[in-house]
Amino acid sequence: MTGRLRALWRLLALQATWNFERMQGIGMGHAAEPLLEELRESDAARQADAVVRSAEFFNCHPYLAGVALGATVRAEYEGVPGAQIVRLRTALCGPLGALGDRLFWIGVVPLMMSAASLAIVEGAGLAAIVALLVVYNTLRLATGAWSLEAGLRSGIRVSGEIAGSWLTRSAERVGPAAGFMVGVAIPKVAAALLAGTGAQMVSGALVLAIAGVVLAIRFGSAISPVRLGLVAILLTLIYAGR
Amino acid sequence: MDIGLTPAIALSLVAWGTIVGVDLVSAPQGLLSRPLVAAAVAGWLLGDVAAGLQVGLVLECFALDVLPVGAAKYPDYGPGAVGATLYATGGKGFGVLGVATGIGLVMALVGGWSLLWIRHANTRAVQRQAAALAAGDRPTIRGLQREGLLRDITRSAVLTLLAIGLAVASARFTFPAEGPFELVGIAAIGAALAAVSTGAVRSAGRGPRLAWLSAGALLGLLWVVLG
Repeated sequence: MTGRLRALWRLLALQATWNFERMQGIGMGHAAEPLLEELRESDAARQADAVVRSAEFFNCHPYLAGVALGATVRAEYEGVPGAQIVRLRTALCGPLGALGDRLFWIGVVPLMMSAASLAIVEGAGLAAIVALLVVYNTLRLATGAWSLEAGLRSGIRVSGEIAGSWLTRSAERVGPAAGFMVGVAIPKVAAALLAGTGAQMVSGALVLAIAGVVLAIRFGSAISPVRLGLVAILLTLIYAGR
Repeated sequence: MDIGLTPAIALSLVAWGTIVGVDLVSAPQGLLSRPLVAAAVAGWLLGDVAAGLQVGLVLECFALDVLPVGAAKYPDYGPGAVGATLYATGGKGFGVLGVATGIGLVMALVGGWSLLWIRHANTRAVQRQAAALAAGDRPTIRGLQREGLLRDITRSAVLTLLAIGLAVASARFTFPAEGPFELVGIAAIGAALAAVSTGAVRSAGRGPRLAWLSAGALLGLLWVVLG
């Protein structure tokens, strides 16, 4: 396995040692190791410093960490001063985190989970789950590979590479698509889950749903839907068991 | 209720629940930990895909309200979804779905706390190796990474065992398929719809996404009414 493939493989477990001190730092150091091997042959002292820097504090969206990894490794090979590499790495945390969250956590994930839910209520069964996993993980792995390549290609000029990339354009487009798909899925899933029950029960579920939304938006995390769900289940269990 | 749990099935559920738990944060973060996926596969392992999909749909509504970012504390729905599905395969009706959802939610909260525990444990391990890390010792980095992964595997396995235990313990009580126990399921579905709607409105903000969400909801309603 080449150094790049090993680094990509290790990036899949970037957060295995997620901690409050260095966050993803240890995972980044682990992924950087195969990429820094050649540096040891040419400049062992520089490589030792590079390993130390690679495992320091880092936190961004896990799928896009390859951008920072590739960029800093390239900078190490180019002999960029250590302090500048640390600044580059720190500067990338925020933008990569925000971009990845917008693209994946509040974009692609709700979009695809809603599409899969919709497919299931339309009778697709397990095929919807298989399709979901294949499509999502292809995208996830392709993004990881592109990220590492983009970082290695650009080095310290990586910011320009990201700004003009498909990632930024996609993040702008996927949000509305996700909103639309979630919107379509909510009534369809509700109808499927409540099928076979009477009008009174459907009304009860909808009243609870509307009250839950109002309470959650009004009181924030103090009344989370999970807490509301547990309280509602417990109260109805006590009522039914009387 | 008879949930028909053989040692072989129990073992396969623990293995699946462990994979699902590790997927959430450690590796590979490939949507295996989503409750819809976790419950569907658990249903398939238990020979009742329909029960898995139904439990998965309800719990997924709760999960869609969650943004799993950085140091934020969020529930871990995967192993709980496995236990909830095990319970749901033992009976029919809204009451069973409601109790299964309750099992999933309780375990999701326990899972969230266990994530905090593992992060603190990882932090202590990193602090113990501060000198070696400052010296750039590569075996130390590899060792920490292995330990972290092992810790999460253990966490996920224990969480799945707890979820299975809760499902088995809850199966001792029998709920009639009809009558007032139906309310338990209705409450679970109502709360799930509240969760997914809250998440959708929060994510939409006040920008164009809100307009697209509204348009989608209108289309979905028309589809339900006309379809």
